[in-house]
Amino acid sequence: MADSGSALAVFPSLNQVALVKRALYREGVCVEMLRTPKCLSSTGCSFALRCTLRELDAVRNACARAGMAWGGAFEECKTEGGLEYRPCDTQD
Amino acid sequence: MIYLDNAATSWPKPPAVVQAVSNAVAECFGNPGRTDHRSSFEAAEIILGCREKLAKLFRVSDPLRICFTSNTTSALNLALKGLLAPGDHVICTSLEHNSVWRPLMRLEQLGTEVSIVQASADGTISLEDIAAQIRANTRLIASIHASNVTGAILPVAEIGRIAHQHDALFLIDAAQTAGSIPIDVEEMQCDLLAFPGHKGLLGPQGTGGLYIREGLTLTPLMEGGTGSDSSNPYQPEFEPDRYEAGTQNLPGLAGLSAGLSYLLHRCVKDVSEWEHVLTQRLLEGLAEIKSVTLYGPPLGRRRSAVVSFNIKGKDAARVAEELATEFDIACRSGLHCALLAHCTQGTAKSGTVRFSPGPFTGIGDVDQAVKAVREIASH
Repeated sequence: MADSGSALAVFPSLNQVALVKRALYREGVCVEMLRTPKCLSSTGCSFALRCTLRELDAVRNACARAGMAWGGAFEECKTEGGLEYRPCDTQD
Repeated sequence: MIYLDNAATSWPKPPAVVQAVSNAVAECFGNPGRTDHRSSFEAAEIILGCREKLAKLFRVSDPLRICFTSNTTSALNLALKGLLAPGDHVICTSLEHNSVWRPLMRLEQLGTEVSIVQASADGTISLEDIAAQIRANTRLIASIHASNVTGAILPVAEIGRIAHQHDALFLIDAAQTAGSIPIDVEEMQCDLLAFPGHKGLLGPQGTGGLYIREGLTLTPLMEGGTGSDSSNPYQPEFEPDRYEAGTQNLPGLAGLSAGLSYLLHRCVKDVSEWEHVLTQRLLEGLAEIKSVTLYGPPLGRRRSAVVSFNIKGKDAARVAEELATEFDIACRSGLHCALLAHCTQGTAKSGTVRFSPGPFTGIGDVDQAVKAVREIASH
């Protein structure tokens, strides 16, 4: 995976996304909140953080510190047909 | 106006509270969790900020264990009705507000067993009396932190210890103490803490919340949209979404967040000390008026910022009316939605007049109030 690529970390709710975003901000990591693309949202509505692939570890660590599990992480890949999402990491 | 009704709702609010409410209405108008635009995400961050400040204030390690309600009453109803089932036993004190007593009376009709531990007239509660009420099916002890009638502060940490020694849970009603007396949910052995946003925490009316200890799950009182887990026909299992169906009160929570910032800067301990000074001065001044009867803990003993009194031969409501119309002093008379507490101190028929100073009350305000009572008592 290229470090410059972007990734989405998916969470069940906006409350969790906001909490992790705030924790990352305190560490100097700025990430973006967004609604999870429908194709990745197995539970209907959910929210995600967009970060670089390199920042994904920081997101995972912030989740662990908050005692929170994310719903998966996906690399955003630009294709001719638009954006595609490839699983790039999962929590145990 | 001299405002001595902070136990009903605090006033004035810090200017930042007013500004935050205004900003939330005018500029940050999104519905958090429901829509996809920037304002919606900003709204979510405002609400999280409020949760984080509450967590800091109450020493809660996970801010998501705090769910918002519209007031303390909603929070207490969620705690009691979301936890207790027919066949369970619950213990409370005779100082409880109707927001605990009435839900418990309703639950009793449905098969929950309720024991009320009698406090003494000045609001003292015996730990032995509480322990003596424990049964095999005791699920919960519910206690007010400080009486809104007598001002008595209950030994909540010790009560919590009794609950946990018997595998029961412990609920604190912090309606009169959140923001006025330091609260540490761990030290106080607290599993559930219900609090208002619009009293000691200096936020707007329509705000409040419930802390729910990790590992404890309640049955929600309301189901509906949460902006999460939408394909699930049932409420989400995770907090706080499980207990927060429907659109949040963003302007209210923005204001509450600003009130919390003020408190965290000033320190609750400082507020507590100041209110103690004011309360003792009120008590000293009123005690010098012969026809005044004071209720609650004796002079010198720590109490919340509540002073209940009557003037011999005068109706409490008329005294409050005269204070308002002749002296421009705002206070509250009557039963204060707490019949049990009035029965405990022997004022169920008469009610009382209640002065409740707050963080912005001055010594001069208190002295003026004493002077006014002296004048009313003299004719």
